[in-house]
Amino acid sequence: MTDTQLIQYSPKDFKSDQEVRWCPGCGDHAILSSVQKALSELGIPKEKFTFVSGIGCSSRFPYYMNTYGFHGIHGRASAIASGVKIANPDLSVWQITGDGDALAIGGNHFIHTVRRNIDINIILFNNEIYALTKGQYSPTSTKGLVTKTSPFGTLEEPFSVGELVIGAKGKFFARTFDTNVALSTRIYIEAAKHKGTSVIEVLQNCVIFNNGIHDIVTDKEVRDDRTIILKHGEPMIFGKDNRSGLILDGLKLKVVSIGENDITEKDLLVHDAQESNPGIHYMLANMRYPEYPVALGIIRAVPWPTCETAVETQIKDIQKDSEIKNMDALLNSGSVWEVE
Amino acid sequence: MAELPLVVVNVQRGGSSTGLPAKTEQADLMQALFGRNGECPVVVIAASSPSDCFDFAFEASRIALEHMTPVILLTDGYLGNGSEPWCIPEMADLPEIKPPFVKKSDEPYIPYKRDDKRLTWFWAIAGTPGMEHRIGGLEKTIKGTVSYVPENHEYMVKIREEKVARVVEKVPDLKVYGKDSADLLVVGWGGVYGHLITAVRELQSEGYKVSLANFNYIKPLPQNVREVFGKFRKIIVCEINLGQFASYLRMNFQEFTYHQLNKIQGIPFTVKEIKDNCIKLLEGK
Repeated sequence: MTDTQLIQYSPKDFKSDQEVRWCPGCGDHAILSSVQKALSELGIPKEKFTFVSGIGCSSRFPYYMNTYGFHGIHGRASAIASGVKIANPDLSVWQITGDGDALAIGGNHFIHTVRRNIDINIILFNNEIYALTKGQYSPTSTKGLVTKTSPFGTLEEPFSVGELVIGAKGKFFARTFDTNVALSTRIYIEAAKHKGTSVIEVLQNCVIFNNGIHDIVTDKEVRDDRTIILKHGEPMIFGKDNRSGLILDGLKLKVVSIGENDITEKDLLVHDAQESNPGIHYMLANMRYPEYPVALGIIRAVPWPTCETAVETQIKDIQKDSEIKNMDALLNSGSVWEVE
Repeated sequence: MAELPLVVVNVQRGGSSTGLPAKTEQADLMQALFGRNGECPVVVIAASSPSDCFDFAFEASRIALEHMTPVILLTDGYLGNGSEPWCIPEMADLPEIKPPFVKKSDEPYIPYKRDDKRLTWFWAIAGTPGMEHRIGGLEKTIKGTVSYVPENHEYMVKIREEKVARVVEKVPDLKVYGKDSADLLVVGWGGVYGHLITAVRELQSEGYKVSLANFNYIKPLPQNVREVFGKFRKIIVCEINLGQFASYLRMNFQEFTYHQLNKIQGIPFTVKEIKDNCIKLLEGK
């Protein structure tokens, strides 16, 4: 099938024949379903997808996708995915990683991939714990968390994924949580369409070693009041009855109630995901309950030239003006002479 | 296991750690041969002069692509900083490299199904319709399913070792400079060739019965090593490390006695010190 317009997939076309080995109740199952659903709606031929991962529970992901896949080495998925994309710009490249894989072991690869803006989609499963190795604290574990490697509570400040992405000059950052399949699917589709490095943080529940860590914001009973789903071009409004919103108060964001103190919907900030100045995005990405609702949806999506396009353009430009057209010419350039 | 082609060029310098930047040493041999976790064989070859660095880089690429394996090419600071006249080859004269790309077929693609002769799997490049598959660092069955089955792991370890062993098909025989049978065989590998050949030629012209064998293929080793070594009364292995190649030869050909000449000063041998040591050995001192 060559005509991409004609391709009709269902999510099950993206299921591989491998037995899914995650624990019953793990958030990863819902993420897998969301990704399979998103891919089936993209209209991209199946063979054009490549999933690359590192090590960890999340990194088993490529085995469960009926696409090309590479289960790499710990923390190095970004390096592998970067190479795949630069060498094969027509592939849709996805990196599956976790908070430990991406931000501890692979922290350096991660920030430089984001900085380079290579067109890969990075789904970061954030369960705030090392789960595959059975419960050691990770770079996103809340300060004070008691784990096997922090029996008296961690003493370290955790990374905020969004803060790190923006600090590394990231152009696309979104956040969702595992069981919200509708929101996640929509974000994965937008991430795929975005040209450049897309980072999607998924608040993912580890049912065994960090169970319920995100419940305080994602639980059905409270999520409407404790999260805000950002939509480009729409006012920042949230709450069960859509009566809460965000305004800029001096240099800080502030939660307000519509109808109180003469506040109307018109006073609220309007989300502009495409604004290149990261100031508001940074504040949105860093909002934490209880002071703020946690921001979900696409927080930042700034159009920007990608690295692989720049590489291709540079090669073409240099080739156009170069007298060296092939390997023979290259070897014979410079100071060469003939022995008579 | 990915079993993908990869060429690593290690221009060895004095170690350990940052050691002696840009100075020469041959002390990464054991690292190249064994420096990985698990049973993880790779091909190791070594260039012996500035001009043959090109040929061995090409050969490393050929082996990596045709045998689907990492290849480590060892040179050293002395070769890396050295120069000599080099006859530029024509690309058209170089042999074609033929990787084992998978052929179109109606049969389902099985990632770790192997070629009978070279034991390579058939390479399906991402983007090829109908060949979607997953590879990676976990042990797998032939079908690409992750497997901890004890017998499967042993089978796969052995087949990967055998795959690298079969690279020997195009490895040329070890060449002897001088007579095939003599009192002393000077053995070297890689970049010590230049000083060794000069020393051996001078010794020969002075009437000593000495020959040289310098290795370029280290794993797999040439097939005629035992036959070559067996015709000499004494063998001395010269290398700029503590004796790593001598140990490797002892491991592979235990029946011979290996004398050693080693230097770990970040500089090459001198012809004089090679000659002095050979003469001492020949005169039984």
